[in-house]
Amino acid sequence: MSLRLRIARMVAPPRSWFGSVFRRRALEQRMESELACHLESLTGDLIRSGLSPQEAARRARIALGPALKHKEEMRASLGLLWWDQLWADLRYALRILRKSPGFASIAVVSLALGIGANTAIFTVAQHMLLDRLHVPRPEQLRMFYLSNPRDGVIQGLWGWWDDLPDGGSVTTSFTYPVYEQLRRQNRVLEDVMAFKPYGRMTVTMHGNAESLDAEMVSGNYYSVLGVRPQLGRGIQESDDAEEGSGPVVTISDRLWTTHFGRSPDVIGTIIQVNATPMTIVGVNPPGFTGAYSAQGTPDIFLPFSMQPIVAPQDFDPAGSPSLLTKKDLWWVLVMGRMKPGVSAASAESSLNVALSAAVRANFAVKSDSQIPKLLLRDGSRGQNPATEGLEKPIYVLLALAGLVLLLACANLANLLLARAGARRRETSTRLALGAGRGRILRQMLTESLLLSLMGGAGGLLLAWAMRNALPRLLSNAWAPPAFSAKFSWSIFAFAVAVSILTGIVFGLVPAWQASRLQVSAGLKDTGQTSTQRRRGLTGKAIVVFQVALSVLLVVGAGLFVRTLMQLGRAPLGLQPHNLLLFNVQPPEKRYPGAMRNLVLQRLEERLSTVPGVRRATLTEVPLLAGNAINNTFIPEGQKRKPEGNPSVLSNGVGMHFFETFGIPIVAGRSFTASDTSTSPLVAVINQIAAKTYYPGVNPIGRTFETGGHHPATIAIVGVCGDARYYRVSKSAEPTFYQPYWQKLNGIPEATFAVSTTLDAQAILPSLRDALRQVDPELPMLDVRTQDEQIAANLRQQRIFAVLTSGFGVLALVLACVGIYGIMAYSVVQRTSEIGVRLALGAIPRQVLAMILSEASRLSLAGIALGLCASFLLARFVRSMLYGITASDPLTLSCAGFMLLLVALAASWIPARRAAGVEPMQALRHE
Amino acid sequence: MAQEKPIDLLQGTLDLLILKAVSLGPLHGYGVLLRIEQLSGEKLVIQQGSLYPALYRLEHQGAIASEWGESENNRKAKYYRLTRAGRELLNAETRKWNRMAGIIGGILHATPEEA
Repeated sequence: MSLRLRIARMVAPPRSWFGSVFRRRALEQRMESELACHLESLTGDLIRSGLSPQEAARRARIALGPALKHKEEMRASLGLLWWDQLWADLRYALRILRKSPGFASIAVVSLALGIGANTAIFTVAQHMLLDRLHVPRPEQLRMFYLSNPRDGVIQGLWGWWDDLPDGGSVTTSFTYPVYEQLRRQNRVLEDVMAFKPYGRMTVTMHGNAESLDAEMVSGNYYSVLGVRPQLGRGIQESDDAEEGSGPVVTISDRLWTTHFGRSPDVIGTIIQVNATPMTIVGVNPPGFTGAYSAQGTPDIFLPFSMQPIVAPQDFDPAGSPSLLTKKDLWWVLVMGRMKPGVSAASAESSLNVALSAAVRANFAVKSDSQIPKLLLRDGSRGQNPATEGLEKPIYVLLALAGLVLLLACANLANLLLARAGARRRETSTRLALGAGRGRILRQMLTESLLLSLMGGAGGLLLAWAMRNALPRLLSNAWAPPAFSAKFSWSIFAFAVAVSILTGIVFGLVPAWQASRLQVSAGLKDTGQTSTQRRRGLTGKAIVVFQVALSVLLVVGAGLFVRTLMQLGRAPLGLQPHNLLLFNVQPPEKRYPGAMRNLVLQRLEERLSTVPGVRRATLTEVPLLAGNAINNTFIPEGQKRKPEGNPSVLSNGVGMHFFETFGIPIVAGRSFTASDTSTSPLVAVINQIAAKTYYPGVNPIGRTFETGGHHPATIAIVGVCGDARYYRVSKSAEPTFYQPYWQKLNGIPEATFAVSTTLDAQAILPSLRDALRQVDPELPMLDVRTQDEQIAANLRQQRIFAVLTSGFGVLALVLACVGIYGIMAYSVVQRTSEIGVRLALGAIPRQVLAMILSEASRLSLAGIALGLCASFLLARFVRSMLYGITASDPLTLSCAGFMLLLVALAASWIPARRAAGVEPMQALRHE
Repeated sequence: MAQEKPIDLLQGTLDLLILKAVSLGPLHGYGVLLRIEQLSGEKLVIQQGSLYPALYRLEHQGAIASEWGESENNRKAKYYRLTRAGRELLNAETRKWNRMAGIIGGILHATPEEA
């Protein structure tokens, strides 16, 4: 076959098809006139051959045959047949649905809710678990991880780590000298770069101080990532050459928009970062989030060379301000780009040789086993910190939403089945008139697909409306959402795929049954043919399945609601109401070391004098906010052991901490003005610490030793009540509280707590004034109440309680619809039987009981199945529960009871209808 | 001897005949019918109804194209003509037909001695 012919065969049919579909009216006219023309010519020829005009016309019509049939065949030649049938099916399906709006709306709404919930959660899941860094070819990026053995050289760490079961740990932090040596010796990767999410820095722009997230980056950061700023330039090698050589920053697209009105003049603008003047040299492209995470971007990026000047270290007051030369602090994150053709394993082993040499050059290594092992892991999502701890909840939510969808599908199948039953006469008639079984199957499928696509459209709308709701639920109330979910084509495709799958899978069973109907059986309309009994069984099985699914979802809701309730009742050991919190971060540059304590003390005093303020204090770590400090704790009389010492939690607190938070002092005293920065160090421990470390003795007046490199001995002056520290769900642990002003190098950030009877908004202006009077350049950060802080701490549990309750209610409604549908159908089917029973002397109450007992048998089977499934599945969420066991008897029995109640309520109307049957009428019905 | 009765068309040959008919010059539907009957010496009868689906199928496949023109009796009529792809199709199908006819003819002419 020649090429031209082949191309013509490929191109011509679709062209002709589209031409016919889009110019349908012209096509019909053309067919009409062509056949008419033929008829006319034929008639003319016949007349010329001597026939009378009437006879000629008659013969011509006979010769040509029926025009209707020819036109149908001509359409078939153009491939229009299936298209026409599809439209006919769709029109028919729409007409049928319009005739039973109740059925249609229940099916569509339940599907929309199911698909909407799935799509919304899939959106978040995709974003959290799958989003990649916004850089070219992210799949080539490798994040460097270190596996540190139990007695490994990594001791001082600033960054993320995870404990391993064998006592070792995994981290992503490197010392700067080790990174430099790795980069120099790298032969296997394209290049190796370093970065550090440095936390917040005080940035002054247009005279206003603000606290913004900053990322410190190496000079080759932009070139390794392959990112070009949309304006100006990136940070380059010359900026990072030596200490202080690059007083430059690049800024995020967001900051450029909010603070510089997207003006190109931003390049060259000088801003103060921690009171150091820095020049803006570039604006990052929109969507760029840095190398750390794909969810949120830091606002400013600066070279490592500026660290000693902009953010001098405060770990060691006696040491140099530079972390870049510090040999024993592991803190920078390292990333590289794979070279094509180099395998990950060979790159890893080569880098491990370099790492071993670098560690030996910086540490006195006693044995090889102390050297950490370097692991190259996927860096396409950065370190992906947003996923930490959220992965499992997201999977649980996806599973629950999947169950809801399954339930909606079962509901649809049940409704379709009942309708197929009701339409047996119609189907049989069509079969008897010669409709093919394939045609019937296709028509029924069209109907279910139409329903599921309508549901899918509704679900998509719902998910779009909720696209910002979930991220907001997942973020702190007082901060912008931690990420924004993008609505993408993949999500649209997901929703469409789910809808179509639903329509096919759950429309196929009823359609199949309808198409297999015996023609005679449907037309006779007597009751008990075998097909019908089988259909009844399928319907009942679906109802049992629905009830079981509903039990599962209701149990889920019960477990998470009970968890939240238990947490709400949890004894915190402190009084959290009417407390306003905000953070203050005195910049190191203006307040080096212990100087910070002085400004904090001034603030503390100034705030307590503001009218409306009852008490004011501060803490180094905010309470019940997920963070804590851990310190060595060696009670008096015990020796420091080289292999490890006990540790307890600690917090640096203000003068009136215990009164402000309502934590009782049970023995000894609180802090007083006589405890100064130069007087002997003091601390208050909590009761559980006293019980654990000073059993049977009075701890007051005793001392303990704390601190690693710079040990200090602290005297215990008081014992306070046990209060929960970092998580609402975590009961109090041994803790000591220390006056912050006795901390030698000061605290870098303080959370002020102001006890007030006034409304937060009412007192805030005067608090801001007070802050401004002490230092006009100190911004007030993260204003929230302690109650909000606690709510944020319970955020995950609350999301679960809210979403699963929604799912549970939906499940109950759907179960109700399903049971009502099947019982109503069953009553209609059994009308004559019931008539016989009543005629033979059964009283209506017995009929009522019969129907209700049938419904309860069905639902009890479903409930038993559902409870078994919950019992088996609940252990997967055990770690997410609090105060109850996964097989909480109260929750399980309540769920079962609720479903039984719903089942009885749903079958009440059909049962009443059955009891009200007139015997004579029912018998005539046959 | 009685006059030979016209024979019905062999299955699947109508497309080939239509291609041949329009290869001699543009024709409208009725004209195609007349041309085939004339070329066959009035020995072939074509079901008039099956002509149009076949024409539409060939046009759909791009073997023939159509345009509106004026018929002999001054009516608007749709004239079909062969496309270049159609001509190639006609040649290929003709070759195929000739081979097939040769083979079948050979088989049918076989005598007992040859078997």
